[in-house]
Amino acid sequence: MSNPLKRRGFLKGAGAALVAGVALPGCSPGPEGGVKFRARPHPMAEQWKHRLGLAQGGDDPGQRVRVAIEKLCGAEGVRTFLKPGDGVVIKPNIGWAQVPEMGATVDPAVVSTLVQLCREAGAKTVKVFDNTVGTSSKCYEFSGIEKAAKAAGAEVFLCAPHRFLMLKFDDPRAKRVAEWPIYEDALTADVFINVACAKVHNHPQVKVTLCMKNLMGVQGGDRGKMHQDISQNLADLNVMIRPTLNILDATRVMIAGGPSGGRRDQIVAGRTLVCGTSAVTVDCWGADPKNLPWPKGHHDLAAVGCIALGAAAGLGVADPSQIEVSA
Amino acid sequence: MARPKKPRHPLHVVRIAVQLAFFTLFLTLLVLTALGTPVAARPWLAQLFLITDPLVLVGMALAGAFTAALLAGLVVVALSLLAPRAYCGWICPLGTTMDIVDKLLFRKRDRSANVGPRLRQVKYGLLVALLVLAVFRLGVFGWFDPVCIATRSYGVALYPIADHAVKAGLVAAEESGLRSAGRAYDWAARARLFIRDTDFKKGDTHVAYLWSFVFTALLVGIVLAQSYQKRFWCRNLCPLGALLGLLGSASPLRPRVSQKCIACGACRNRCKTGAFQPKANDKPYASVVQECVFCYACERDFCPVDAIHIGAGSPTPVRPEPQACPGRRAFLGAAATSAILGPALLLDQRTRQKDETNPMLRPPGALQPDAEFQATCIRCGACMRACPTSALHPSGVENGIGGLWTPTFVFNIGYCDYYCNVRKEDVESGRLDRPANLCGIVCPTGAIGKLTHPQKIARKIGTAVFDKSRCLPWARGEECLTCEEQCPLGEKAISHETEEVANLDWLKMPQPKRNRYEELDAKRRGGATLTADEKAELAAMPPKTRKLGLPYVLRDRCTGCGTCENVCPVDGAGGIRVERLQTRDVK
Repeated sequence: MSNPLKRRGFLKGAGAALVAGVALPGCSPGPEGGVKFRARPHPMAEQWKHRLGLAQGGDDPGQRVRVAIEKLCGAEGVRTFLKPGDGVVIKPNIGWAQVPEMGATVDPAVVSTLVQLCREAGAKTVKVFDNTVGTSSKCYEFSGIEKAAKAAGAEVFLCAPHRFLMLKFDDPRAKRVAEWPIYEDALTADVFINVACAKVHNHPQVKVTLCMKNLMGVQGGDRGKMHQDISQNLADLNVMIRPTLNILDATRVMIAGGPSGGRRDQIVAGRTLVCGTSAVTVDCWGADPKNLPWPKGHHDLAAVGCIALGAAAGLGVADPSQIEVSA
Repeated sequence: MARPKKPRHPLHVVRIAVQLAFFTLFLTLLVLTALGTPVAARPWLAQLFLITDPLVLVGMALAGAFTAALLAGLVVVALSLLAPRAYCGWICPLGTTMDIVDKLLFRKRDRSANVGPRLRQVKYGLLVALLVLAVFRLGVFGWFDPVCIATRSYGVALYPIADHAVKAGLVAAEESGLRSAGRAYDWAARARLFIRDTDFKKGDTHVAYLWSFVFTALLVGIVLAQSYQKRFWCRNLCPLGALLGLLGSASPLRPRVSQKCIACGACRNRCKTGAFQPKANDKPYASVVQECVFCYACERDFCPVDAIHIGAGSPTPVRPEPQACPGRRAFLGAAATSAILGPALLLDQRTRQKDETNPMLRPPGALQPDAEFQATCIRCGACMRACPTSALHPSGVENGIGGLWTPTFVFNIGYCDYYCNVRKEDVESGRLDRPANLCGIVCPTGAIGKLTHPQKIARKIGTAVFDKSRCLPWARGEECLTCEEQCPLGEKAISHETEEVANLDWLKMPQPKRNRYEELDAKRRGGATLTADEKAELAAMPPKTRKLGLPYVLRDRCTGCGTCENVCPVDGAGGIRVERLQTRDVK
């Protein structure tokens, strides 16, 4: 019948498995030095807080990326902030399952050009992801970003729920949010590039969704809970997550039905791309009805609550007259 | 007991190969169904095992819900006319499951004391009862149909368990430093092998289905009942087995026992479905053709004297053969029982549906009225497995006790995906004429119709309704509008008006301060000029009212897709919920 040695052997094996199961997760290294956002700011971030690089016109969104970055950074382009061997994260808006023509997501050519630029500058890895709002695999497919970014040599992956790490919002300028789970790869990148697209937003305090709000795509958790006092929450998020470079892709501008979109008649051509070291300054320029074809009477600059709060936290400029645009 | 080992009958070996091949096919198709898109162009792949099920064919025909696809069941009918329950022995995924478990757990178990034929007539009674219920337009035979059981148990119960185990394993391996585990996780997530990909609200993808536990337990019970009798379910309870046995009663192909029989009882004791029994303790033994599953084990493996031959020729079967079926009285009794239960179930269905607080959220394309849906749905769970957001779940008895396990939406878990089975190129080209709802695509009986994308968007599942006692702006004066943000319609079905509402910060002030505020405010409104001190004092206090966006549902636009309910940040029951489609709303 039953062999006692066998049973003992089984128990030993089970015991070892149990110990391994308990011990191994405890051994997991986690990010060194605790959970914090580690991407380097642009070396000129402080001096260039008010500066933007602008590219307008033409039919090639990719070319606008090259031009705008050169206008901002000079001929060295991305090499001004990217060292060979860096790990780069590009966080485009892939939030909605819509085709590029619907303007709900960043134009795929913008992302693929950025990936190329980073690879040419010697980036070790270029990761592209977004914690989408719609069904992720659909968003990645419909936006065309997955295909374009992969073709350009990026790693593209869906956000997995176990890879969010709780980030303490311990900067005194973060006033309302105490902590929030942030995607690990966003925290551990050397260079973080934030790429938003220009859309109206239904929320009365948001009005337009640009670079500052685009950072919600690195958040996990119940993001619906960001919507209470959203301006302050977004300012807090931008205090903690400081991209190396912020890009606003206004290849198309969504003028109604935002942020989800889905109708071609809600889109107008923008043929514009603007970049800067401060998300607040980029948003200040982008939200200005003088600069982008926002619907008449939709909002004035002061209505976009997070910009003033972000500027008050010292993140950028909320006064359009202080902005210096290189075009 | 030691007998010289004889080589197996060639068809015995072939049977095992065929069984494993069909079982692998079953599991493969199940995974393909989970992936959605691969089966969209060839829906019959997802439906294969269900549309070839003759019980579904007969049941649907009796329910007046016959569709042409079900004619595929005639293939199995033809097979059964020749070899009655060969389907059970060679093809049925539930049968193969039982055989595998039997081999693993009970190979050495002596069950010869339990081989009596006592219980085996139950399955005929069950068959008749279920078919009479089908006449009453209740597709409840799916509760007992073995293919439905396998589809439910594997797709809606075991798949989530495997999904969870694989994810947990990969996560643990990744966290202990194994990079390739993380890459494997990413690959599987992108290939949509996992149940759901991400969840906006909770960020946790470890989701199964309501009733998953029951489906697991039923399958475990069915396979473990074999500790009493091999293939306990098939012998005693399976209505499909009963039907196939009856179909093949006149088949010339059957096990035949010759006069060589020494009445040792080996075949009686070892046949997996108990297809042999002695005739009044006399030899030779006789076979019961309705029970034989053509496993080909008896000829060489059991019989020590080679007295059994499965075939059409000699030896002539013993006459009269043992009776497998119950008599006419028992059949009539089962039918009469159902003739009472059927109307009772229908009345129960109507009574429960009269309670309009129960949302009754059916998949898009579900037949209407709901009685029609319940007549045609076989409760197989294929739609639930196919739903890309795991929004469809087996219902309880809220739509009628007979409606148990019919699909219903649970929008706190998933939502009806706007672009469910729409490809990027379809949107770009504007050619949206393909079926767009995966639940309808995989449905084997047409209980859920196929809808194109425009049809799906035009079809109401229900209507979103604000619960103003829970919705954050309405109930608590807090900003939100997450529902409006995420409404997937091009012309959103949720809009808001910015209105002056009570400022809670003002209400939080102590009463004396509030009185002072009122005093100063009245003075200002009265046209009096405030002193600089008074102005500063008033400015230091929060204003009495503030502007807030209050959301509304635009009922005629709402499709009831449940995205708003799914993303509502209110914990517990959402501040916006999809409620039953009121018949007076139907366009």
